Amino acid sequence: MNIFFRNVFAMVELELRRVAHDRTELYSRAVQPILWLVVYGPVMSGVRAIPTGNIPYTDYITPGVLIQSTTFVSIFYGLTIVWERESGILKKLLVTPAPRYSIVIGRSMASGVRAVFQAIIIVPVALFVGVRFVPNLAYFALALLVIFIASAGFAALSILLASFVKTRERMMGIGQAITMPLFFASNALYPVQMMPPILRDFAVVNPLSHVVGAVRALMISGDLSSLPVDLAAMLVFDMMMFAAASICFKRIIE
Amino acid sequence: MRNGERGIPKSRIQVRDMDPAVDVRGLTKVYEGKFKALDGVDLTVEKGKVFALLGPNGAGKTTLIRILTTQFTPTSGEAYVFGKNVVHDGSEVRKIVSYVPQEMGVWTDISGYENLLIYAKIYGIPSQERKKIILDALEKIGLTDFANSLVSTYSGGMIRRLEIVSALLIKPVLLFLDEPTIGLDPSARKIVWEELTSFKEEYGATVFFNTHYMDEADLYSDEIGIINRGKIVAMGTPAQLKHSVGGDVIRLDVEGEVISEGIMNKLRSLSLVSQVAVQDSELNIVVRDSETALPVIVETLRKQRVSVRKISMTKPTLDDVFLKYAGTRLEPSGRVSEVRQARAMIKRG
Repeated sequence: MNIFFRNVFAMVELELRRVAHDRTELYSRAVQPILWLVVYGPVMSGVRAIPTGNIPYTDYITPGVLIQSTTFVSIFYGLTIVWERESGILKKLLVTPAPRYSIVIGRSMASGVRAVFQAIIIVPVALFVGVRFVPNLAYFALALLVIFIASAGFAALSILLASFVKTRERMMGIGQAITMPLFFASNALYPVQMMPPILRDFAVVNPLSHVVGAVRALMISGDLSSLPVDLAAMLVFDMMMFAAASICFKRIIE
Repeated sequence: MRNGERGIPKSRIQVRDMDPAVDVRGLTKVYEGKFKALDGVDLTVEKGKVFALLGPNGAGKTTLIRILTTQFTPTSGEAYVFGKNVVHDGSEVRKIVSYVPQEMGVWTDISGYENLLIYAKIYGIPSQERKKIILDALEKIGLTDFANSLVSTYSGGMIRRLEIVSALLIKPVLLFLDEPTIGLDPSARKIVWEELTSFKEEYGATVFFNTHYMDEADLYSDEIGIINRGKIVAMGTPAQLKHSVGGDVIRLDVEGEVISEGIMNKLRSLSLVSQVAVQDSELNIVVRDSETALPVIVETLRKQRVSVRKISMTKPTLDDVFLKYAGTRLEPSGRVSEVRQARAMIKRG
């Protein structure tokens, strides 16, 4: 097997084994998105202030909420990396013959896999509150793949940040500082057209918008017209993040 | 011989015989333009030896080991591992060395078996051999019964053994260990060393370890380099180093008062005395012939109104060697308990 894939699979397997030993984080991280779906969604749909076409508001925000909860896990994945920096594991990993990029991309994809589990936990809740998904398993599977790709990219971003900030506290702070702007300046909760022009421009380059757009198309609207653009944007984002994080990764143990 | 472009050592990699395991020339490392961690280190470790880098905390031991394991680059100077430059041929170096960091090198939220499994995959051990190699390794370190327990439930010694055995999966030709037994109790330390010794005998690998425990350097190494403030101040076998102290050591515990420089000079001027050092109220005097020298020394001290509480005469230890070359004692400091706490914290996750 190619050395790159071998290491990526080893890193993903590590994550799966961790999840298997302790699932509490998966459950506790599901609380917030469930509140969005169970409380915020129904309340705001009562207001009827947000034009979502013929899609009920809770259905409209379901992809946003899914993406928020999954990418945010990834954006804080750097905490794990910072922890491994402190515990010495990273030093040891970086002295193995495994190329650096295979570790970085492997860990990013590991976070992507965790995100897919996260999404799968939230979906039944969405069904329970009456969200109607596109009844197409292929679309659903593709949506999960999108979530995986997006989360891997955001995890790489987080690893990139971790290589510079190196402490848990600062990592926490930065994570919090970027998650909310990404979320609110995206199409997760409302159409981009409702935003002021500056924010609208940002929303176009905001990778989160493209992820939400893709997942919304596949899960809720079934309208795949903008899917190629969204997928392309995500792949470009992933490639950039993988490259940057791989290049800077060695800084983390210096 | 390397296994093609995949670069996975199938068996032990052949290295050229003439290259020393470690060859370091004029190595310096300056952190952030200020702190000089290494100050011109020259060092050669022959193949197949167990080499101990002995020194107090902050002497530069960890910095040196981290440069040799390609974790960061030196400020100046050159370092070679089996003839491969650690800066330019880093990936070549990483194929033949293995490293056990001072902190911890295993994941505590998965089991011991799983840790070895992940490392075995990273090292590219073929899947059909993997399970057997891992089970053998666990058996060798006596962790068979705990193979499927979370590492966070292990004792400090068990974790250390797991870390070492995980570093050995790759069958390195050179194993680097940074303070391999720090924070362990004496019995756990002994077990770790027994395992390291048996590994060494089995594979004939070179071992390079950092320590501030003199007894470990003395007992388990073929050669010792003493490092202090970023400089290698002495090199040799434990016997050579102790011999170099130049005689017996007389240790005098004196009453409270400070020993003045004048008294020290008076002692130094005695013909049998080759070296005098003082630390707190303890006077260390190296003499050529302790039986003859002792009465003279006591007499000199009495004339200077220094009262002696206790006298002991010993053969020189590595501590005396350290005192001779570094001018201070090699005392274990608060760092040990610090490390112990840190490891406990890491373990809890």
